[in-house]
Amino acid sequence: MDECDTWDVLPVLSDEQSRDTELLAAYAAPIIEKRQTSRLVKELSQIHPLPSLQHIKRVRACKDKSTPHPLEVIVCLASDVQVTDCKGVMLTDLIPSQSFDSSGLGVPFLVKIPANPPLTRPQFEKASKHWPTSFHEDKQVTSALRGQLFTADQKAKMQEYMTAAVQAAKSGEEMGMDAVGAVIVDPESEQIAAVAHDCKRGSHPLHHAVMVCIDLVACGQGGGTYDYEKYPACLFNSSETFRNACNGKENGLPYICTGYDLYVTREPCVMCAMALVHSRINRVFYGATSADGALGTKYKIHCQKDLNHHFEVFKGVMLNACEALEKK
Amino acid sequence: MIPMEMEAESVKPEKSNFLQPLDSEIQRWMSKAFDMALEALENGEVPVGCLMVYNNEIIGKGRNEVNETKNATRHAEMVALDQVLNWCCCREKDPKETDIPLVVYGCKNERFGGCGSVLDVSSDHLPHTGTSFKCIAGYRAEEAVEMLKMFYKQENPNAPKPKVRKDLISPPDGAVVIQVKRGPQDEERETIAPLS
Repeated sequence: MDECDTWDVLPVLSDEQSRDTELLAAYAAPIIEKRQTSRLVKELSQIHPLPSLQHIKRVRACKDKSTPHPLEVIVCLASDVQVTDCKGVMLTDLIPSQSFDSSGLGVPFLVKIPANPPLTRPQFEKASKHWPTSFHEDKQVTSALRGQLFTADQKAKMQEYMTAAVQAAKSGEEMGMDAVGAVIVDPESEQIAAVAHDCKRGSHPLHHAVMVCIDLVACGQGGGTYDYEKYPACLFNSSETFRNACNGKENGLPYICTGYDLYVTREPCVMCAMALVHSRINRVFYGATSADGALGTKYKIHCQKDLNHHFEVFKGVMLNACEALEKK
Repeated sequence: MIPMEMEAESVKPEKSNFLQPLDSEIQRWMSKAFDMALEALENGEVPVGCLMVYNNEIIGKGRNEVNETKNATRHAEMVALDQVLNWCCCREKDPKETDIPLVVYGCKNERFGGCGSVLDVSSDHLPHTGTSFKCIAGYRAEEAVEMLKMFYKQENPNAPKPKVRKDLISPPDGAVVIQVKRGPQDEERETIAPLS
């Protein structure tokens, strides 16, 4: 149990969720007469609508409490107007005066506003330092980013599964394989469906641990392609309790890996990541990252919008033990 | 001839000793690949066929066998690669010494395609995975799409049932209409469809 405290399980989020706050230059102006606020906002939005910036709040309460005016409003994006001298800029440079009653509005000044809607709490906090935005918080992502998504009991279970993967990796290594191990688990019954290690240095160059594990799950469902007799640590669960647990479900055995979780000691490659998409995996937990990895490092296959199946990915499970496998 | 782990850090832009086959040759091989796809269709599999050719010799043939094996990775290419490995083994050739220099395919796959559609693994720099290779896309593409459409018109017996929304909407005449949920991502569909 105590060992669980030495690693953090962290989500592998999409680029949109993990990118830095991009900023756009805009002109804002103080609202000197508060009573004019709603008229000014309405008219400004007509003259300079900000269609791609729905997340931006047009008006903000003034940060500095000592200033005489309580509110500031976005006039327009700097890219919407052509201004030669941005220091001495006047309202008339930004708005055609004949169409606009500028009473109540002060001298404009430059600000930076967030270009994209914040998707995570860290992004929201960063964005808010520049200009207030709306934020639809995904509580699960927030707690995942804090490493608080899983309970101690859940982490202990993860540790149990990843330990099995590490063991398999070591068995494979003893047979001259790369030290990579994988375990596919039915989270509902908390039973292991299959355990595998890398076999690509043996009979087949494509027998990465994940590929073997997927085929072993198929073996357990009465399918499968290869025979792994040579590899005693590559196993599928044919125990009665597992079968009963599956048969007790509404539809019996799942369709390929639907609902199953994968624990793998290192980040899968492109082939394995796509194999997991095709196999309808539920979640992936990995320990160490890998140089051409396809679930975070080189690609984020699990976030690829065009694909017809998506899954959550977490990394860092038993990080030290998994990294130690690589170093040998 | 098999893309796999390699030691060098650089990607070879041109494979040496590789002559691109003539159009007539490509057509001849592709027609055999189409035959394999048809065989898949007749066996209730997604109609994809694959041929591995080396020095004018077919050294691997495969068609999808996903449903048969309950393994979603048993695509035509994977099946054909197994035969190539056997071929290498029989001739005591090390598959690591050669890489596949060229892939010719029928239609693009906007859903899963890894060579120019969703990803472009064939030209991306992946030094720890393998070398890059050339792709020729669109040989008899329309025919390939037609065949896929035929498959998806049939029901995939192994696909999960589409989710049916629980909220029933009662029209004025009292009849009950069940709305099938259609997500924006089309996630419920088991197909790789709109390939046009």
